[in-house]
Amino acid sequence: MVEGGRRGGGGGQELERAPTRVDADPEERVLTGLMEGFPSSLSEAKRVRPGLLRARIKREDLYDSCRLLRESLGFEHMSMISAVDYPDRFEVVYHVSSYQNNMTLELITTTPKDDPKVDSVSDIWGGANWQEREAYDLMGITFEGHPKLERILMLKDTLYHPLRKDFRG
Amino acid sequence: MWINMGPQHPMTHGLWNLRIKVDGETIVDAEPEVGYLHRGIEKICENRTFTQVIPITDRLCYGSSMSWSHLYCRSVEDLMGLEVPPRAQYIRVAVLEMQRIASHLMWLAAYAADLGMMAGFIYGMRDREVFVDLLQDLTGSRLTYNYPRVGGVSHDVPPGWDKDALRACDYMEQRLREYEDIYEGSKIFMMRNVGVGVLKRDLAMNLGVTGPPMRASGAKYDLRKDRPYEAYDEMDFQVCSRTEGDCFARYRVRMDEMWESCRIIRQAVQKMPKGEWRVVAPRNAPAGTGVAMVEDPRGEGMMYVVGDGTDRPYRLKIRSPIFVTVSAAPQFLVGYKIADVVAIMGGLDMCIGENDR
Repeated sequence: MVEGGRRGGGGGQELERAPTRVDADPEERVLTGLMEGFPSSLSEAKRVRPGLLRARIKREDLYDSCRLLRESLGFEHMSMISAVDYPDRFEVVYHVSSYQNNMTLELITTTPKDDPKVDSVSDIWGGANWQEREAYDLMGITFEGHPKLERILMLKDTLYHPLRKDFRG
Repeated sequence: MWINMGPQHPMTHGLWNLRIKVDGETIVDAEPEVGYLHRGIEKICENRTFTQVIPITDRLCYGSSMSWSHLYCRSVEDLMGLEVPPRAQYIRVAVLEMQRIASHLMWLAAYAADLGMMAGFIYGMRDREVFVDLLQDLTGSRLTYNYPRVGGVSHDVPPGWDKDALRACDYMEQRLREYEDIYEGSKIFMMRNVGVGVLKRDLAMNLGVTGPPMRASGAKYDLRKDRPYEAYDEMDFQVCSRTEGDCFARYRVRMDEMWESCRIIRQAVQKMPKGEWRVVAPRNAPAGTGVAMVEDPRGEGMMYVVGDGTDRPYRLKIRSPIFVTVSAAPQFLVGYKIADVVAIMGGLDMCIGENDR
């Protein structure tokens, strides 16, 4: 039996919370930070419910805004990358989470149908690596700058992207 | 030299391949290969109505199917803007924690077998039956329950079920003490676990590692506590975490979580209010999106559902926690010996069904 092996909390440090001023709640600060950084390409930035924000960004500024989120606004964790095939466009939806501020930001970017390409954020968050590969594999979105953009779930020699709406099996 | 551990290997618990590059006995690089069990669940769901999707999401992971169908129902409730009645919330908390214990016990059993303790395997599988039986009393099936519904749960708990649940918790707490003696009293188990597969806290966060592996690395974050859903904000429990970040810490976090799950089941069953257990959900969802995140036994489970006004989801994206966790395998493995691979990868609780979807 190891000392301290028994239960009882077992240590683990509290996450340090971001320094907050009384007049600035973290969600407001993230929204203003994004709007000041990217005034022309950010739109529809709003709070959906407590703990969930939503914003749209043009794809040219996606990488820079993600870097801002990671380095200045305290978003440590890329939760989920989803690609959606709409009739007139592809949407790539990034759910980015902040442990210290306890919130999630839904960052939506669109790409045209004939040029499904966005910048890779896998060097900002390591957790984005495989999720971008999955989006490439199943939806055919190209992530520029990804270290290894290969198929991951389907076979290597598959010729189609099965989650596209025009795919007929 | 590259070595393939898998797709048919006792370590893998299903079909996946871990390629490791070795220099002598030391691992210098690693690369997991997944996709052997890809069934295209996201695509299948686009051709089913919202209710028909529930049994399919059960099949994401046979070890914790309740948490997946619950997560799906939550995301659709978010899309439709439904409020779940209080009794359904308490029932959901109770069954989710039972599922968590059953899932952790299956991990514990498989982990013991990986490390050469067949006694641990038999014990874990035996006591998992207690909770599987409870869920069978409630839902009629052992593994894939099809129990949560959009707007609540499918039916009320049977009479006397609460007493069975309390008795199962008493039994489980005795057993947990016994497990701790068996496992931590085994010198071989400790030698293969302590100080093996260390992952630092900041790296774990950046790599998207969630759930017990992240909490074992020192990050005290649990969606049940920090962003409570259902009735978790009315439950009294602790977030279990450790600072070491090695295999032993991951084992310890899961054991502590089973203790806390027993506490939560007791509270949920005893405090369960009377009333409705389901509201009728509309057939068609509005155009829009819904997102839900829950603390799955393996980490942060998320679903993103897009509705287009019909009775089918336009798109359903599933975030599997273990898919992201296993992508961090090189950081867990590099620098350790080949013999440690089984302990490190076994300690992550790999589940191929939800990984490959």
